[in-house]
Amino acid sequence: MTQRPPSFVVRAPTGTYRSLNPATKLATAAAEVVAAFFLGLWTGPVVVLVLVVLTAFVAGVARRLGVVAAVTIPIVASIMLINSLLYPGATDVIARIGPLAPSISGFLFGLQITIRLLAASLALGVAYLTTRTGDLLADLERRGFGRRASFIIGSAIETVPRTVTRAAEIVDAQRARGLDTEGRWWRRVRGIVPLAAPVVFGALTEVEERTMALEARAFSTPGPRTVIRTLPDSGRQRAVRWALLLGLVLLVGLRLTGHLAVVP
Amino acid sequence: MGWISRQFTTRTIVLMPIAIAINIVLGATVQQVLKLPIYLDSIGTILVGVVAGPIAGLLTGVLSNLIWGYLLPAPIGSSTIGPFAITAGVIGLLAGLWGWLGLFRSRRGERSSIPGAIVAVILVGALALYTFSRAYASPTDFQNNTGFDPTTLDQSRIFFLVILVIFVALIAFALFLRRDVGAVYAIGAGLVTGIAAAIVSAPIAAIVYGGVTGSGTDLLVAAFRAGGDSLVSATLKQGLLSDPMDKMITSFVVFFIVGNLSQRFIARFPNGERLVSPSA
Amino acid sequence: MSLRLAGVSYRYAGSPNVVLSEVDLVVEQGEVVGIVGPNEAGKSTLCLVAAGLAPGTIAGRLEGTVTIDDLTTSTARPYELAQRCGSLFQNPGTQLSGTTLSVWEEIAFGPRNLGLALDEVVARVNAVVSTLEIGELVERAPARLSGGQAQLVALAGVLALQPAYLVLDEPTSQLDPQGTNLVGDALAGLAARSNVGILVVEHKTDLLAGIASRVAVLDAGRIVAIDASADILADERLPGWGVDQPSSVRLARAAALRGVSVG
Repeated sequence: MTQRPPSFVVRAPTGTYRSLNPATKLATAAAEVVAAFFLGLWTGPVVVLVLVVLTAFVAGVARRLGVVAAVTIPIVASIMLINSLLYPGATDVIARIGPLAPSISGFLFGLQITIRLLAASLALGVAYLTTRTGDLLADLERRGFGRRASFIIGSAIETVPRTVTRAAEIVDAQRARGLDTEGRWWRRVRGIVPLAAPVVFGALTEVEERTMALEARAFSTPGPRTVIRTLPDSGRQRAVRWALLLGLVLLVGLRLTGHLAVVP
Repeated sequence: MGWISRQFTTRTIVLMPIAIAINIVLGATVQQVLKLPIYLDSIGTILVGVVAGPIAGLLTGVLSNLIWGYLLPAPIGSSTIGPFAITAGVIGLLAGLWGWLGLFRSRRGERSSIPGAIVAVILVGALALYTFSRAYASPTDFQNNTGFDPTTLDQSRIFFLVILVIFVALIAFALFLRRDVGAVYAIGAGLVTGIAAAIVSAPIAAIVYGGVTGSGTDLLVAAFRAGGDSLVSATLKQGLLSDPMDKMITSFVVFFIVGNLSQRFIARFPNGERLVSPSA
Repeated sequence: MSLRLAGVSYRYAGSPNVVLSEVDLVVEQGEVVGIVGPNEAGKSTLCLVAAGLAPGTIAGRLEGTVTIDDLTTSTARPYELAQRCGSLFQNPGTQLSGTTLSVWEEIAFGPRNLGLALDEVVARVNAVVSTLEIGELVERAPARLSGGQAQLVALAGVLALQPAYLVLDEPTSQLDPQGTNLVGDALAGLAARSNVGILVVEHKTDLLAGIASRVAVLDAGRIVAIDASADILADERLPGWGVDQPSSVRLARAAALRGVSVG
């Protein structure tokens, strides 16, 4: 009997949308982003936004998607304010208050950019929320991505929290040594090297040991490494991905050659 | 292709995630702690480019942005950084070029390097002058420019002088700190990288975000727009004020770090030979 | 078939100092050779050279030859060497890949790298898990292990490549007493029940007394004494070389000083 890895290693994803192959979810997100930017000024963004929100509900990630949307509030506010109040060359200015000139066309322009940005961000957000990084990397590797790219991405994600802690410790230590973070700007500029250099040096101390550890585990063996997790895929999903890719290319082509000018 | 795979030794593969993490963490920390418009979020990228090679640097930059933007959750994750992966890639690529040219090598006490350094300063200064005069010359799209308008030359002159002063001040500071002529090359390389970064970022910022990033610099962009600039031109002008400064400082910090790492350590990287001083 | 260092001298890249001088050492399959000596004697370097990581992975200048069974370290590729000789260092944190979600997958990291068939990978992981008796750890996240457990998992990861030899550089120095016992017991088990030839650098001579058949003293890059472990560890010159003698030896001496003989 062929031996299989234990079930806690295989970890097949469950859920209607979640169980789709990562490549499918990525292709969908990519197509949605392209549609948001290339399918007219309003149609694409609105359609994609609606589609994305629906998908989020189906996949059960609606609330978390709301959090992702909330993170974009500062930039959305900035876009709306700056374009509503300072849109150059506006002909329908409502009033003039000093340098500020609120206009309808400015507001509409800002709204357009906002919806487009939200549509694209949330499309990628849904992909992120319904796909585990490990699954994505495993699937990419099966498709020929290579162990080194997989290692780099996985290791980077694992290293960030440790580096955050270390950086916080260094900030405290340097503050105790007189690092000025509140004073005049030239004093704060002098804090750049005392802050950045220890963080970098500390992070680099591990390089030799980790290099040797990887070599000791035969990491540099040529050829593909053994696949132990295969994410489920299907002919139907493959067909959908190809269709999305073709549609994407067609859309970009049509838009660039001016055939989509009629689309609002 | 051998040239590319030679950059990706196991040591490089180990360094890259560490560099990516450094980019992300310093990018989130420095600006917050020191409250300066300096991000240092390409320090890891430039480091990898310099010690391992251009393609390694390019990938470090691209992956940093993609991971930061799309694979890390808030509060660390940044929602606006993803599309600038292109800029980050260019920065890494250029850093590889500078490393290969030996620009980040320590030249402590090397009197013979001084004439070369002066030439470098002049060249870089000339490049900056040209770029600034073209970028700030007229309200229309940077690419369509044919010459500069004398009435708007003031704007370009002012901003160029600002950057030049920062350039010279940084060099003076670096020389005072380290008496290492190599700092001039590194900071000059940083200035060129900053200009390139601004040029590549401008259309991205304009198209994806309408020139807005949710930070204070948006007002600057708005001001340029109010003065009649197109969106790309306005974001370019804003970029040319912040990117050169940030990249000059970042490059100097990388130079400082490379100079302080043991020769033993540096020599083991693909580009190590060009970073080890003969005097060592 | 053995791990053999013949006339070995070594210099790190970019440094003129000779760190190892004319070292001759043989480790046979099934035997455990301990290395003791003062700090900066070159013990860590000896480990790197014996495992073939020097000069292969860290460059440097090697004179003399190091052979591991049929391979010569100066010409073999690192992944070939890893399958003949495993290496374990002091810091468990940097030896785990940091990219796996379970101990099982962490152990599978090495065999997977070799591109072995899935069957074979699973079989090897299960074999190592049972040899080191770490069955209750397999589902755990590697980041949530104690120091001793992490070191055991690192050891498992290396053993999964089925090397004939093992080089250990102070494997317990960064562990608390509990971790030290955990790893010490595992090494004792390996020494007793497997045919792996082991070269282990340790300051904890008690541990060596329990597992090593021979012990060599390294000082300033040279082997200044090598003999059966009981003899070396009782040698009075040890403290002069900066090495603490095992408690049994110290106890015997203390007793002898008081006129009590310990049989």
